[in-house]
Amino acid sequence: MEIWRLPISASQRGKLISAGYTSLSSLSSISSSSDLARELKVSESEAMNILKVASHSRGSETSNASCSIVEGAQSAWDMLHDEESLMHITTSSADLDNILGGGIHCKEVTEIGWSSLSLIVNSVLKYKLTTAFGSESIIFMLIGGVPGIGKTQLGIQIAVNVQIPNDFGGLGGKAVYIDTEGSFMVERAFQIAEACIEDMSEYNRFLRKDFQECKIKMLPQDILENIFYFRICSYTEQIALINYLDKFLSEHKDVDMSLWSQVKVIVVDSVTFHFRQDFDDMALRTRVLSGMALKLMNLAKRFSLAVVLLNQVTTKHTEASFQLALALGDSWSHTCTNRIVLYWNGNERYAYIDKSPSLRSASAAYSVTARGIRNSSSSCKRIKMM
Amino acid sequence: MTPQSLLQLTSQKCTTGCPILDRLLYGGIPCDSITEIVAESGSGKTQICLQLSLHAQLPVSHGGLAASSLYLHTEFPFPFRRLHQLCLSFRSSNAHHFPVNDNPCDRIFVQSVHTADHLLEIMSKTDPFIENSKNQVPVRLIVIDSIAALFRSDFDNTPVELKRRSSLFFEISSKLKALAKRFNLAVLVTNQVVDLVGPNEGINGLRIGNLVCLHTSGRRVCPALGLAWANCVNSRLFLSRNEEVIREENEKSNGQSCDFVKKKMRKLYVVFAPHLPESSCEFEITREGVFGVER
Repeated sequence: MEIWRLPISASQRGKLISAGYTSLSSLSSISSSSDLARELKVSESEAMNILKVASHSRGSETSNASCSIVEGAQSAWDMLHDEESLMHITTSSADLDNILGGGIHCKEVTEIGWSSLSLIVNSVLKYKLTTAFGSESIIFMLIGGVPGIGKTQLGIQIAVNVQIPNDFGGLGGKAVYIDTEGSFMVERAFQIAEACIEDMSEYNRFLRKDFQECKIKMLPQDILENIFYFRICSYTEQIALINYLDKFLSEHKDVDMSLWSQVKVIVVDSVTFHFRQDFDDMALRTRVLSGMALKLMNLAKRFSLAVVLLNQVTTKHTEASFQLALALGDSWSHTCTNRIVLYWNGNERYAYIDKSPSLRSASAAYSVTARGIRNSSSSCKRIKMM
Repeated sequence: MTPQSLLQLTSQKCTTGCPILDRLLYGGIPCDSITEIVAESGSGKTQICLQLSLHAQLPVSHGGLAASSLYLHTEFPFPFRRLHQLCLSFRSSNAHHFPVNDNPCDRIFVQSVHTADHLLEIMSKTDPFIENSKNQVPVRLIVIDSIAALFRSDFDNTPVELKRRSSLFFEISSKLKALAKRFNLAVLVTNQVVDLVGPNEGINGLRIGNLVCLHTSGRRVCPALGLAWANCVNSRLFLSRNEEVIREENEKSNGQSCDFVKKKMRKLYVVFAPHLPESSCEFEITREGVFGVER
């Protein structure tokens, strides 16, 4: 290992190199810090520090002899493998799931026929993406759209769907729902949960002949109970909560799978609201927001969970005309690995993948029904023909 | 910080005083949430506000909140006469809930608001006011009629001013939501409309919510205060008013002469709401108040 890799100051590094110490092993011959101090013309404590750092780096180098620069690195092959084993949360709209990178996964589903099942759980969706953080694939997405387009509906749907048991191709996890706008309505969540359970039992009946045996034991109440709901009234609360989540998630871990948390998704509805007032210092706002995004990303990685952030849209004044843009500025949008924009096209709601490292840009129609997010009725027919 | 249990969290509603409208709204105006009514002047915004502040006093078993209300008005003068009129019919139809000498108007606190800063100042005072009113009949409803009047004159149409304006929206909205959450209040806000002129719709023609475009009195309109404010409310309702010409056969004469009678057609639409599907309902305004019409 070369000297320039040591985490010491540039001037110390310069002095070491000009004194002829180019590699770690050359430093190992030095016995006392005072010798080094004399040679480099630095204080004794400084020299001591250099030696400490050097011996520490040497230690880690030997212990990790087999590989590479960074501890815990993985080959791309391994990462792909990990990614494919990842679980996915359905949005309940097969089309939407489709553009989110899944395609229709389950043969059973297609065989039975779409009319009743296009809605169903198993129409698998994978939004999987790797991040620069390495080893683990995490899901970090930002969803934006005008008021009334269905952001909150999608948020609630995801919080419900994450609980679909493993037997039904779900994750069997729990959800953290952070509500900053007060738009989460319990009665609506109950409705969506009820419909989700109904869909599951219908699916069950198709799949297994013996209906009695595998009746769904889940109740809408159970689903509501597994959504950890936090209502936030200011941005300081929001930051505090996200700092606290680490502890909260550690306390809600699975007993048998030490590394995996029971919570499989964090929905923030919306990240934006409290940051659109009181901030005169935009640079400060950007820093605070990126700090928050970084923390969420770390949570996603540490606990293998998905983070879904809902964002508002705003008008941007460019060249004397107004355009629609996601709120909170560009640097914030860069932080998010996936960005989905919801918009109206004629009389239909559409979702468009605006940015993603692994998904093609595509759009799909969806609709908001009494039962939750579903395929839009016109595209349902299209899929049926396939 | 502990998560709230959704099983104990029930969204209470405040009845509008009309079963048909209540059915459309799944019980009325929800607590811990901001509901906005958008309409041109003379459509019945204020009527609904007045009626709601009376019906909030009904016991919970009758769909009310058993509470008094705070009525912030920005448009002058406050319609005391109409409130009194509504109050009389409200009392006569709900006499058994109130003592003989009781006047429901006593439980509507009216405050005038002149500017946006004034509104913020009042809201900071509202906190202790509601706290102190707890031992009497608590305040569980805030009405702001209308929010648009505060913003339509004070700001220039420059990017800097618009930014300052939208920052104020978010400040007001988050303070209102904090109040609503703390005291479990229902908040009803009214908003005006602006006309959309010309083929070039621009940003005002942007579709928000269930309706492709809003029509009232034969014109195409959009809610005032723009997209920023639309992000600040949880639910938005729209009232339209149209004059319909109905041909009425005059039966007194030999049945050949026809009278053309103009009839006001009022309709309430759900533009967006987290808990309501796209729906609409006709309504009419009578001496006794606002009532839905079933067809």
